[in-house]
Amino acid sequence: MEKRRVIDDYEPGPVPPQKPLDRFGFIKQDASSTPEGLAKSRLIVEYEREAIRVRKWRKMIGVGGNDWKHYARRKPHVVKRRIRKGIPDCLRGLVWQLISGSRDLLLLNPGVYEQLVIYETSASELDIIRDISRTFPSHVFFQQRHGPGQRSLYNVLKAYSVFDRDVGYVQGMGFLAGLLLLYMSEEDAFWLLVALLKGAIHAPMEGLYQGVKIVFKVGLALLKYCHNDLIKLSFEKLVHALRNFPEDAMDPDTLLPMAFSIKVSRSLAESKNEYEKQNGKLMKSTELMEVHKQLH
Amino acid sequence: MSYAYLFKYIIIGDTGVGKSCLLLQFTDKRFQPVHDLTIGVEFGARMITIENKPIKLQIWDTAGQESFRSITRSYYRGAAGALLVYDITRRETFNHLASWLEDARQHANANMTVMLIGNKCDLSHRRAVSTEEGEQFAKEHGLIFMEASAKTAQNVEEAFISTAEKIYKKIQDGVIDISNESYGIKIGHETHTTSSGGRDGTSSQAGSCCS
Repeated sequence: MEKRRVIDDYEPGPVPPQKPLDRFGFIKQDASSTPEGLAKSRLIVEYEREAIRVRKWRKMIGVGGNDWKHYARRKPHVVKRRIRKGIPDCLRGLVWQLISGSRDLLLLNPGVYEQLVIYETSASELDIIRDISRTFPSHVFFQQRHGPGQRSLYNVLKAYSVFDRDVGYVQGMGFLAGLLLLYMSEEDAFWLLVALLKGAIHAPMEGLYQGVKIVFKVGLALLKYCHNDLIKLSFEKLVHALRNFPEDAMDPDTLLPMAFSIKVSRSLAESKNEYEKQNGKLMKSTELMEVHKQLH
Repeated sequence: MSYAYLFKYIIIGDTGVGKSCLLLQFTDKRFQPVHDLTIGVEFGARMITIENKPIKLQIWDTAGQESFRSITRSYYRGAAGALLVYDITRRETFNHLASWLEDARQHANANMTVMLIGNKCDLSHRRAVSTEEGEQFAKEHGLIFMEASAKTAQNVEEAFISTAEKIYKKIQDGVIDISNESYGIKIGHETHTTSSGGRDGTSSQAGSCCS
């Protein structure tokens, strides 16, 4: 705390001391609770499986992604299955750009990003600056004040607010842009943000695009998995639990098959019926109370 | 924990005025200079005591940016108290107060108690809104007023508690109908068990749940 006061506001801050990070670069809040031996053996199995996946994926997308379109058109079901098994972390940056079609946007608009960053001004600049230090403050890349992470994040958000003036800057975009910046360059991240927010869904994405439904499916799967624990909690504890799901619930190999098996439309109809049935009951109990009151 | 009453609060005001920091200072007694920006809504709770009665404050903290107004508006419903916050170092956050009050008038119940807070009063060297202006605005609109600092904790406790005292008085005076939940007040199950100890709300089985 003492040190911080001495540093000029406009100088990059000090390099933070080394703290344990998780595999995505977030500072760990507490020491991992999984026993050493178990974690290690699981890690080896995962490592081997990941290596096989990477090999398959490299073959599928070709050098620099050249074979992607051809493959996706010829064998969409294989692509879909492999995406659902998980895109290897080291290839995500590239694959996201291929799937979303943002790579095409980039090639169609040479020099545009630079123009937006350097020459244009945005009405949202102050709003963006105010939020930069509040975006992933516990991530090693974004932690340093005015460091490379924060500068890239600012550039991408400012460029987007100019590119899409109707929308401008909306809080929350930073978390999206920030995540992309962990996997690719500023310019690539910008065009991927455009593809995601403006829906530049190109031919390769057709048939793969799941829409907002998948978000609900994953959410519902999480609720289903933890149902027995959640249902016992008080309101305050529930709010906390919903943001801190246990590690075993977040295991993609368990969670995702469950998510895909949930039929949202059908479940919605069932939930609606159940809700109406319960609400009907509630109505009755309040009516009873009214009667009770009147009697006294 | 059992309580005599539960009051629902909402914290509103422009982005970056320190809403989440006020909440954290009140619930956890700490100041966090770097924290995630609020998307949508956050939540906090704490017990306080008024006239020897345990009262639970259930506080909803909202996102300040204009784009989120459609979401935050739905949280006015059933709020007994509101903390309307501006930043004394940023004039525009004071200028927007009228539009926040307009929102509150439209979406909250007419008896909601509103506390106006000029936050960041530790930064008096960068002050852009005088204390008198804050007082004047509060007087004109019938609000309680305080300048506070989430950083130094000055007046934070007081702001939350005097809002609760005002609500409590409204209950005593019969201005608020506590059987009507749209006023943002719930009655606890075990009102007079504070001295007996060892018991908590879980043993009670009266109708309404989730509290």
